[in-house]
Amino acid sequence: MRHREWALATVKPDMTPMIDCVFQLMIFFMLTLKFVQAEGNFDINMPARGAPGGDIGLDIKVRMIADPQGNLVRLQIGQRQLGNDDRAFARLNSEILRAIGGTPGGLASKETEVEIDADDNLQYGHVMKAITACTRRVDERSGQVVRYVEKIKFAPPRR
Amino acid sequence: MALDAPEVDMTPMIDCVFQLITFFMLVINFESTQADERVKLPESEIAKPPKVKREDEVTINVGFIRNADGSKRVAHPLVFLPGEDVTIAQMTPRIKKDLQMYKLQHPGDAVKTTIKLRSDSEVPIGAIQDLIKLYQEEGYEKFALQAMEEAPKE
Repeated sequence: MRHREWALATVKPDMTPMIDCVFQLMIFFMLTLKFVQAEGNFDINMPARGAPGGDIGLDIKVRMIADPQGNLVRLQIGQRQLGNDDRAFARLNSEILRAIGGTPGGLASKETEVEIDADDNLQYGHVMKAITACTRRVDERSGQVVRYVEKIKFAPPRR
Repeated sequence: MALDAPEVDMTPMIDCVFQLITFFMLVINFESTQADERVKLPESEIAKPPKVKREDEVTINVGFIRNADGSKRVAHPLVFLPGEDVTIAQMTPRIKKDLQMYKLQHPGDAVKTTIKLRSDSEVPIGAIQDLIKLYQEEGYEKFALQAMEEAPKE
C-alpha cells in the first residue's frame, strides 16, 4: 500500500538549474546578436598585366575625372561627356547597352571589356557606381538583374 | 495548510524563453565577424550576395580611422587587420605570408583565393588600385568588390 502511494505521487523535478542555463544562453545570444545589412558584391577577374588572359583587348573606356576633394567632376565614355550626377550613371548604363548591341547576356556582353580610368583621388563610392552602371541593371518588369558586361578592369593609376 | 509554498506554473515562461533562444540562434551570424564596422561601404541597388558560397576567400577591410564626429583622424586609408591597422604599403609581407600558407596547403595549384575587398566609400581609388596591384603581383586574380545592398528607389 505504501509503495503504491509513492508511485502515484507526482514527481517534481527541480527546474531551477535548467532555467538558469536557459537564461544564460539567452543573454549570450542577445549580447552577441548583431543585425547587419546585407552586403552584395561585384566579382571581377583581374589578372596582372602580361599574365595569360590579362590583356584581352580594350573595347570601352570610361573616364572619371575628380576634383581635389575626390568628388566626381566629369564622367565620360570614349569622348562623350555624360555629366557628374546620378543621371550620368543612367546615361552610362544606356551607352553600355548600346555598345553591347542591345542584347544583355549575349556574345558581345561576354567579350566586351570595360576599362575604368579614374583619377587617383576619386572616391571609391563613385567608381562603384560606374561599375554598377557598366555591369548590370535591374529589369523594371521582372525585377531581375540583367548582366551587361562581365569584364571590368582598371587603367593604371594616374599619379 | 497556510505554510505550503504557492506553486507557480513555469511552463509558459519556459516556452517563451525557448522560443527566444531558437530565434536568436537562427538569426545570429558568426560569419559577419570579418566585417569591420569602421568601413562604410558604398551602396548599390544591384549588388547581390553570391548565390554560391566561395570555397576560399580572404576579407580585406580598408577605411579611415575617424573621430566621433566622423572626421578623419588620419588622412590616408588603412587596412584593418585583426588586432592591427596597417598602411597599404605594409601589406606586401602579409600577402606573401598568406600566399606561402596557401602554397603549402595547395602545392602546385594556381591561386584560386578570392580577395573580398570591403572598402570605405571615401577611400581614393588609387589606394584600392595599389592594393589590388599588390595582390596581382603575387598571382591573385579574383576580386570581389563589396557594396551595401541598397533598397530600390521608388
